[in-house]
Amino acid sequence: MKQLHPRIQFVWVLRSAIFAAVLGAGLFAGHLVFDLPVWLAPAAAGLVVVLGLPFARLRYLKWGYEMREDALYLERGVLTEVRTVIPYVRIQHVDSRRNPIERAVGLASTVVYTAGSRGSDVRIPGLTDAGATDLRERLKELAILAGEEDAV
Amino acid sequence: MPSRLSPLSPVYRALQRSTGLIVTAVVVAQTDMTRMVGGPLLVYALGGLAVAAVLGYELLYYRRFTYELTDDTLDIHSGVISRRDRELPYRRIQNVDISENTIQRLLGIAAVGLETAGGSSTEGSIRFVSANEARRLQREIQRRKRREQGEPDREPEPETELFALSPTELGLIGVLSFDLRVLGVLSLVGPGSIPFLSDTLEAPMALVGVLGGLLVLALLGSAWLLGIVVAVVNYYGFRLTRAEDELRYERGLFRRYTGSIPDEKVQALTIEDNPLKRYFGYATLKVETAGYSPGRGESRSSLVAIPIAKRARVEAVADRIEPLEPIEFDRPPTRVRRRYAARYLIVLGVLLAAAYGAVTYLGVTAPWYTLAGLAVGIPPAVHLKWRHRGVSVGDDHVITRNGVWLRTTKIVPYYRIQSVIDTRTIFQRRWGLATVSIDTAGTLSIVGQGAAAVDIDVETADTLRALLTDRLQAAILGRRQAVADHPSRWDPTSPETFEW
Repeated sequence: MKQLHPRIQFVWVLRSAIFAAVLGAGLFAGHLVFDLPVWLAPAAAGLVVVLGLPFARLRYLKWGYEMREDALYLERGVLTEVRTVIPYVRIQHVDSRRNPIERAVGLASTVVYTAGSRGSDVRIPGLTDAGATDLRERLKELAILAGEEDAV
Repeated sequence: MPSRLSPLSPVYRALQRSTGLIVTAVVVAQTDMTRMVGGPLLVYALGGLAVAAVLGYELLYYRRFTYELTDDTLDIHSGVISRRDRELPYRRIQNVDISENTIQRLLGIAAVGLETAGGSSTEGSIRFVSANEARRLQREIQRRKRREQGEPDREPEPETELFALSPTELGLIGVLSFDLRVLGVLSLVGPGSIPFLSDTLEAPMALVGVLGGLLVLALLGSAWLLGIVVAVVNYYGFRLTRAEDELRYERGLFRRYTGSIPDEKVQALTIEDNPLKRYFGYATLKVETAGYSPGRGESRSSLVAIPIAKRARVEAVADRIEPLEPIEFDRPPTRVRRRYAARYLIVLGVLLAAAYGAVTYLGVTAPWYTLAGLAVGIPPAVHLKWRHRGVSVGDDHVITRNGVWLRTTKIVPYYRIQSVIDTRTIFQRRWGLATVSIDTAGTLSIVGQGAAAVDIDVETADTLRALLTDRLQAAILGRRQAVADHPSRWDPTSPETFEW
């Protein structure tokens, strides 16, 4: 089972910090307009940040993926554990992408698409630039190798 | 040898186009304004001229429109002012549909629509040819398409009927399709348009009550009747047939709706019922498709294959579409009943607390504790919820069943599995439970879910996950083997040679 790049924890913490800032700003606006208690904004934001730290750690520990013989296997989730099996033969296409936060810390994601209606796109975050490209290429090859079946 | 449209088509087309004109002319002729512009006669004259112009145009359209079935294309030459010559290769034509409304049927003409892969709209349409010619075109195009794909030239398979709606079943759809929306609309127009109601406002309360009750009954009755009428109009003469590797259906009293689904687009089958249908032994069958649906191009959709029929009949038709093995459902472990009981108790507790709060703080006087009586309902509810859940792992299909009020049984061929998703919420983990969802390219359902084995033991979940993936691989290999054995009959666009 492969783990993500440890730096992904930083991305997640940063994300919860951004969320905390937005939440705090919203609650502060609520204080100005609706008379909400003034301590609510820093308290809520602080709580999000405090909870965000161990959550990012747990999330990192729980994340794993594996390229099995005929399928891509992923395991993730803190509160709800999710295990996904995507047979290579069902892969429609594979993307690698980077959002601004990921770019800032030099990470990238690979997104795998199937024709399914529910888990039609699965994202593997926390890869290095080279790793994401490499994973994309390998999955693409495996998908081609798995067959020329019409996917639908 | 190029063919022409039906000679009746210019007349029909002209009528279709000028009904608006004629109505406008008649309405305008009635108004006072017409005096200023020279009286109604002039209006009629102008209207007549316009209609004549339309008829003339349509006659020219008729003269210019020719189509021809060549060796490998369908050529359509058309256009009055700007000419258009189009060649549609047979292999690109996905579907030929025929539509005819009541008037067209009286005239014996039909419109032929040609749908091609890639385009989401109708690529070409031939309006209108005689009904017989329409059927001939449909048959011919399909025959030539097959011939081009290297299949032996043969007579088209005759359609075999899978299902035809009986009058009793049609009646049942009507009786059961009580539409609350209709009620809403009727109640909006209802009271105001009934003149005696305003007089009764001054009448004694009892009378108002009685009349109000009668009115509600009348509304309910008419909503029900309307539901019946709508169902009869929509589902009259419902037939499901199979021919040429596709499912075809037709329905409708005034306007016939027809459609077809190629076999290879069928992703899953769904059998639905509710307590009422279960009690009387009825069920509904739906076919879930992906990729292509008639009239809507690339999309996912759910086609009602059997609106309602006795369960045995539904299962027999499902078996014709997807040969099924005997179904044996494994129920979730019995401990899930305790989980559901706990869940319902929490909901009941919240309700009780809310009721108590309302009594204490809002001054509502009500015996709030009577709500606790609902607890009696929990054990049967829990038992039913557990009893109707299940998963059946067959040789070629995985079948899941969920729901009490709307019980859905999903039949998924292993070959159609797109991915397998095993989720365990924090609450499920306490009980050692997991939910395994089987994702297909079928219908995106907003309400409810796709095929899923809900609340099964974690170990069963691990086994099921592995088993489903293995069976998918085996199914793919089996399919390839079938192709290798009969390469000549193999055609990627219609894998008819493959049997599940």
